Amino acid sequence: MTDAVQSGDGGAPARGEGRDARVDGRRLRSERTRRLIIEAYIALVRETGHMPTAAQIAERAGYSVRSIFERFPDLTALRVAVTDYAIAEARANAALRDLDADRLTRIKSQVNQRGSGCERWLPLWRVLSADLSGAPDLQQRIGMIRQLIVMRMEMMFRPELSLVSDAVRKKIMLALEALLDFESWARMRELYGLSFEEACAVWVKAIDRLLPQTPA
Amino acid sequence: MPTAVQIAERAGYSVRSIFERFPDLNALRVAATDYSLAQALALAPPRGADGDRQTRLRSQVTTRAHTCERGIALWRVLLQFADQDETGALKQRVARGRETTIVRMELMYRAELSTLPEQERRQLLIALEALTDMESWARMREQHGLSFDEACEVWIHAIDRLLPPTPVAVPASAAA
Repeated sequence: MTDAVQSGDGGAPARGEGRDARVDGRRLRSERTRRLIIEAYIALVRETGHMPTAAQIAERAGYSVRSIFERFPDLTALRVAVTDYAIAEARANAALRDLDADRLTRIKSQVNQRGSGCERWLPLWRVLSADLSGAPDLQQRIGMIRQLIVMRMEMMFRPELSLVSDAVRKKIMLALEALLDFESWARMRELYGLSFEEACAVWVKAIDRLLPQTPA
Repeated sequence: MPTAVQIAERAGYSVRSIFERFPDLNALRVAATDYSLAQALALAPPRGADGDRQTRLRSQVTTRAHTCERGIALWRVLLQFADQDETGALKQRVARGRETTIVRMELMYRAELSTLPEQERRQLLIALEALTDMESWARMREQHGLSFDEACEVWIHAIDRLLPPTPVAVPASAAA
């Protein structure tokens, strides 16, 4: 009765439609819980620099420890989900800019984006990549992040890299990867006490020296 | 990081013997680090510092590469525990290890670095230290599957690009 009146168009919902809506609602709530657990993990890592315990994550997310393990079989699975979340967010916030600009603009754009990324993700990177033994899914994600960083540099510096042989290009990319590593950034900021701009200046200068000439 | 039992067994002493000499495992880690840093220096004296550019590049890279091959496992343990060490002793050793690398490069590339203003020289040394970091070496060997010689070539090529031109030596007669 109520269904027919509430529908307002004289038609009762098809059999199963209500059940589908309930299932969708449950699924959405479950997705939201999952997301809040992941965000709690990330917030705790940013605050403490350490891998949080299940109890800490549950408390921060406002759920029980049991809720966590209903969605993630163990903390390694949660770390994998956190990594996927971070990769998606980093990709969404790191659009390629200045791709067609002159050499110095491209170098500065790449360095600024990478520096900002290191500032934002360094604590999580350290926690996620700290102990990869027995976590092949996590190893694969860490490898993927490194690949994405390299691919981005290949796109940004395509004109310069197009001039050299495959062997030389590979050498340059390996050097760039080492130079622009998370821990390289961390040392400039934490050990050598450089400001964001000073650290960027180190990378800009080094990349400019490493890259071949820009084709005319 | 080995346990006290594993260390005692390997050394042929009792666990008690360890803790008679080291108040805790962190003190032992610090002592092991000091020992390794001293050993690394002893095994890697600067060679070819007066050679031409290519000789110095090869010498510095080969020496550094050998240090990385020997030291990566202990270095990883050191970094892992440095943050947890409330005494700060391990962090101090990590910083000293990096400073030693920088001092060595300053020595080996003195000719090229002398042509740069102070700030630019410091920037370049930071970049060189990042390039020749232990984990940079480990990635080339473990993830990219490069041989020892191939990995050395990557570093030589990169350092050669990063360094400014070598100044032309002025003959003593002309200088006089």
